Amino acid sequence: MADIRPFCMPKWGIEMTEGNIAEWMVHEGDAFTRGQTLCLIETAKITNEVEAEFDAVIKRVLVSAGEEAHPVGTLLAVFADAEASDAEVDAFIAAFKPAETGVAAKAAPAAAPAAVPAAPKPIVTNRPISPEALKLAELEGIDVAEIEGSGRGGRITYQDVDQARRPAVSLAPRGGADLPEDDLKVFASPLARRLAALHGIALGPIIGTGPRGRISKADVLALVPAPAPAGASFGAPFALVANPPRVQPFDKVRKIVARRLTEAKQQIPHFYLRVSARTDELAALRKTANLVLGIKASLNDYLVKAVAVALARHPDVNVQVHGDAVHSFAHADVAIAVASPKGLVTPVVRQADRMHIAQIAATTRALIDKAQAGRLAFEDLEGGTFSVSNLGMFGIEQFDAIINPPQGAILAVGAVSRQAAECDDGAIAFESRIGLTLSVDHRAIDGAAGAQFLQTLKGLIEAPEGLFQ
Amino acid sequence: MAQMMYRDAVLTTIAEEMARDPNVVVLGEDVVGGMGTPGGPEAIGGIWSTSTGLYGQFGADRVIDTPISESAIMGAAAGLALAGKRPVAELMFADFIGVSLDQIWNQIAKFRYMFGGKTKCPAVIRMAWGAGYNAAAQHSQAAHQILTGMPGLKVVMPSTPADVKGLLRTAIRDDDPVIFLEHKALYGISGEVPDDPEFMIPFGHARLSRAGQDVTIVSSGLLLGFCEAVADKLAAEGIGCDVIDLRTTSPLDEEAILDSVEVTGRLVVVDEAPPRCGLAADICALAAAKAFASLKAPPQMVTPPHTPIPFARELESAYLPSTDKIEAAVRQVLGWR
Amino acid sequence: MQLSREALLRAYRQMKVIREFEERLHVEIQTGEIAGFTHLYCGQEAVAVGVCEHLDNEDKIVSTHRGHGHCLAKGCDLNGMMAEIWGSRDGLCKGKGGSMHIADVDKGMLGANGIVGAGSPIGVGAALAAKLDGKGKVAITFSGDGACNQGTTFEAMNMAVVTKAPCIFLFENNHYSEHTGFEYAVGTQKDIASRAEAFGMKVWRGDGTDFFAVHDTMREVLDYVRAGNGPAAVEFDTERFFGHFEGDPQRYRGEGELDRIRETRDCLKNFRKSVTQAKLLSDADLDALDAEVLAAIEASVVAARAAPRPTAEDVLTDVYISY
Repeated sequence: MADIRPFCMPKWGIEMTEGNIAEWMVHEGDAFTRGQTLCLIETAKITNEVEAEFDAVIKRVLVSAGEEAHPVGTLLAVFADAEASDAEVDAFIAAFKPAETGVAAKAAPAAAPAAVPAAPKPIVTNRPISPEALKLAELEGIDVAEIEGSGRGGRITYQDVDQARRPAVSLAPRGGADLPEDDLKVFASPLARRLAALHGIALGPIIGTGPRGRISKADVLALVPAPAPAGASFGAPFALVANPPRVQPFDKVRKIVARRLTEAKQQIPHFYLRVSARTDELAALRKTANLVLGIKASLNDYLVKAVAVALARHPDVNVQVHGDAVHSFAHADVAIAVASPKGLVTPVVRQADRMHIAQIAATTRALIDKAQAGRLAFEDLEGGTFSVSNLGMFGIEQFDAIINPPQGAILAVGAVSRQAAECDDGAIAFESRIGLTLSVDHRAIDGAAGAQFLQTLKGLIEAPEGLFQ
Repeated sequence: MAQMMYRDAVLTTIAEEMARDPNVVVLGEDVVGGMGTPGGPEAIGGIWSTSTGLYGQFGADRVIDTPISESAIMGAAAGLALAGKRPVAELMFADFIGVSLDQIWNQIAKFRYMFGGKTKCPAVIRMAWGAGYNAAAQHSQAAHQILTGMPGLKVVMPSTPADVKGLLRTAIRDDDPVIFLEHKALYGISGEVPDDPEFMIPFGHARLSRAGQDVTIVSSGLLLGFCEAVADKLAAEGIGCDVIDLRTTSPLDEEAILDSVEVTGRLVVVDEAPPRCGLAADICALAAAKAFASLKAPPQMVTPPHTPIPFARELESAYLPSTDKIEAAVRQVLGWR
Repeated sequence: MQLSREALLRAYRQMKVIREFEERLHVEIQTGEIAGFTHLYCGQEAVAVGVCEHLDNEDKIVSTHRGHGHCLAKGCDLNGMMAEIWGSRDGLCKGKGGSMHIADVDKGMLGANGIVGAGSPIGVGAALAAKLDGKGKVAITFSGDGACNQGTTFEAMNMAVVTKAPCIFLFENNHYSEHTGFEYAVGTQKDIASRAEAFGMKVWRGDGTDFFAVHDTMREVLDYVRAGNGPAAVEFDTERFFGHFEGDPQRYRGEGELDRIRETRDCLKNFRKSVTQAKLLSDADLDALDAEVLAAIEASVVAARAAPRPTAEDVLTDVYISY
C-alpha cells in the first residue's frame, strides 16, 4: 500500500481563512526531500515559503500558481512515495474530505490536516421552508424555529433566513422635512415644490414639462442659478479639464490593513501623551558606536532599543489586550512600522530589550528587506507587545498613531529638529530634539503608567549610555 | 376658504357645474328621492345627501331619478355621453359595479378606442365605497383595484373635502369617462375648501400630506388619515415619513412616488382593497421595477386579508388596516437588516 | 303612403348595398384574409333600411353584433366599413374596432356592439339626451330574439317607460339566437312585442322581409314617439340567410330551409316584384342599380386591400383624450 498524503491550504494564524499559491517550486512528478521549498503561499497578510516535512514525490498538482484564493483546507496537491499508481492517487483524491477542524498547521503545514468551515448540519423541521432558505439555514446554523415565515402559510423564505442571520440595524433616521405649502393653484410635483422652497424659486411663472404639464424636478433645477463665475481679474475664464478618478480597488493587504485600522481606531479608547527629548547625546553615541563597534545602526534602531529597555522596566505598558484581559510581558517584542509595496506592515523585533544594538540593527535590516520583497513570513508578523512608527525622515514633527491590536500602545516618532533652549547658566543654546507621541489603550494602561514609561524613555534617549548596560 | 363637509363638497360642485353647463345631467337611484310616494319628489333626496335640492333647481330632465336598474343607469350614462351630454351617474354603492360592470367595462371604457378615437364619452360615475360602517360584504367594498386596471377609465378617490371639489369639477369637465369614488366614512368629515368656482385639481397629481426622509407611505381615501396619524407619531421619535395621497389611481402619479422613494429608500403602501392584483401590489411593483437602486428594504403592503368583508364590529376592525398595522409595517422597513 | 321614384331607387340601392356587402364578405372570409368574428346581416336588409330611411343624423341608433346593415342604412361610409373589416388604418375605426364595433357618432350611429343586450340601456341614455334637447329626435335600439332575453333589455324598457324616454325598442326576430331556436329560448313562445307591451309601452308588429311593411309601420311608430308619448316597441319577423357567425355549419337548420327562405322570404326579390308589378320601377332600373352596387363593392374591396396597415404605435392612441 502506497503512502499517499494530502497537501492542503495551511492555516497560519486565526485570521487566515484562505490563501493562494504564488509559485510552485516543485512540479508534478518531481521528487523532493525534507526541507526543500515546495511552494510560496500568499495570504492577505504575508507570503510564506512551505518547506517539505518529508521526502516524497509530488504526484498531482490540483491548484496551480496564480489561481484565485482557496479556503484553508483545500486540497492543493497529493504527495506519495514513488511507487503509488495513478489509480491509487485518483482514488485518494476522490475519497479525500477536508478536515472538519484542525489545529494550526504551523508545525507541519504540508501534512497536517487544516481547518475548514464547519460542515452544514442538516435541519429537520416540519415548518414550510423554501429549499434555498433551508440550505442557508443549515450552512449558517440558524434555528428556523425562531423565524416567522413571511411566505404563504408562514413559509420561510430565503429572505427570512437571511434577515435572521444579520445583526439588527442601528436606526439613524434622517427625520422629517419641511412640508412645502401647496396652494392648489400651481401644480408641481412634491419634489419640485421642495426644491423650489430650498432654492427660493417661485413656482408660479414656471411652465411645467412634467406629466400632464406639471412642474417637475427638472423644471425647478433648470432655474437654480449656476455658481458665480471665477473672478475676471485673471483674464480668461478658468476652464475645467476632465478629472476622472483613477479607481484602484483595495488589494487584499490594504483591505486587511483598512479593516484592522478601522476597528482599532473605533474600538480602542486611545489617549495620547506627548514629550520631546534631547538627542544630541544619542547622536554622538551613535556616531561613536558605529565607528568603534563597526555596526550600522540607525537612529531608529537606537530608539527601538531605548523603547525595549523602557518597556522591560515598565511591564504595565508592555502589554497586549485580549478581550477583557491584559497580558503583560517581561520582554519587549517591538513591532516596527514599515512601508512595503503591499502597504503598511509591522514586522516584530523579538525580545529587543535583550538584544545588543548590533543585533537590533541586523534584525530590522532583514525584516525591512523581506517586507520590501513581499516575503515576510507569518512568524515575522505575529504578536508584538508594542509598536514604533517613525515618520521623522519626512520632517513630520509629531503625529498620533493608531494602536496596532492586540498591543497596548504605539510610539509615534517625529523628526529631529534644532531648537533654542535655555542652558543651566541662563544662556541660550541650540539643541536637537525629537518629538514623541505615545498612543495608549486606556482600557489597559493608565495615564500615569504611560507617563512614567515616557519619562524613562526620555531619560534613556537623553542619557543613552544606559542602552549598553 | 370655507369650512365644508365632504358630502357638501360633492353636492356643491355638482350644483355649480349644472348651473354652468346645461349639458350636465344627474341620474341614479333616489337622486331625487321619494318619487311616486305620498311624500313626493325630494321627500328624501338621496341616501348620501349628495344630490339634495338638485331636482328642484334643475328639473326632472336633468335630474333623472331611475328605478333600481344599475345596468340601465350605467348604460343610460353611456348613451347620454355619446349623445353629447355630461352625465353624472350615481351608483349608490361601489359594490354594485358587479351588476352593471358590462356597461362600465365593455362600453364606457372602450367606446373611444373601439371607435378609432372618433368619439368621446364624458361620463362621470360616482360611487360610495369603503368599509367602516359594518355594512358587510356587499356594501363596504373598494372598487378602485378593479376599475384602475381598465384602460379607458380614469379613477379618482379624494381624501379631503377640498380634493372632492377640485377633483369632481375636473371629472365633470373631463372629456374621458371618470370613476369618482367617494369614501362613505369620509362623507361627514369637514375641511377647508377653496371658494373659487373654477377651482380644479388636475388628475395624476398626488398630494404630499406629510414630509419626511425615512419612509414613503402611499395611500388614499379613509386610510390616508391613518397614515398621517402614524407619521405624526413617528415624527416624535425623529422618524420622518413622506405621506403621499394619490388622489387619482388612474392616471397614477408615478413621479411623486418614485421621487420620494429615491429619497427615503423605503416604501409602505396602504390600501383598503384586498392584497392580490391590487393598487398596493401595483405600486410596490412600480418601486421594485423603477426604484430598485434606491430601495433599502422590500416595499411593504398594508391591506386587508384575502377575504370578503365581515360584518361584526370586531371582525371588520380586524379586517381593515389599522394605525398599528401601518406603524408595524413602517417599523419593519426601517428595521430591515 | 306612396314613395317617390327617387325614394324607391334609394331604398332598393341601400338594401342591395347591404346584401352585396355581406355576400362579398361571405366569400372573402373563407380565404382567411379577414381576421376575427363576423356576423352577417343578409336577409334582414328591409328592416335596417325601412327604419333608417325615416331618420336623420340627429336621430340615434344603437346596433348589435350583427350590425353591418344598420351601419350602412344609417349612412356609414361603405369604403370606410370595408376597410375597417379588413383591419386597415383607413377603416372607420382605424382598424381598432372591426366588424363588431363599427360606429359613426356623427351619423347618429352609436355603435355595433359585441355584447348581446348591451345596446338597449345605451339607447335609453341617447333618448334621454334627445328628450332634454326637446327637438323631437329619437333613439332606436336594435335587438334580436337573443337580446330580448337579457336583463339589460328589461331594465332598459322599464327605465324608458319610467322616464318617458323617446326610445324605440326594435326587435328583429330572425328565429335564432346564436344556434338556439326562438321557440325554445323565448319563454312566451308567442312573440317579443307582447313582452314589451307588458312593460307598459305601445307596440307594433310587422313582416320584416317586406320593405313597405317596415317602412309604413315605422312611420306610425316614429310619429308616436316623436310626439312625446314615451317609448315604443316594434317586432319585425325576419330571416337570417347565413349562420350566427361566418363558419357556423348551421346544422340546426331544417331540410331545405335556407333555399326556401331565399326563395320566398328575400326582401330584395319581394321588393323587385312589388315595384315592377306596380310599374313603379322597371327591371332595367333595378339591374342598372345592381351593376352599380356590385362595382362599388368591388371598388371598396380593392381599396381595403390596398389601404395602409396600422402600426404598433397605433395601439397606444385613442384610449383617452388626455391622460
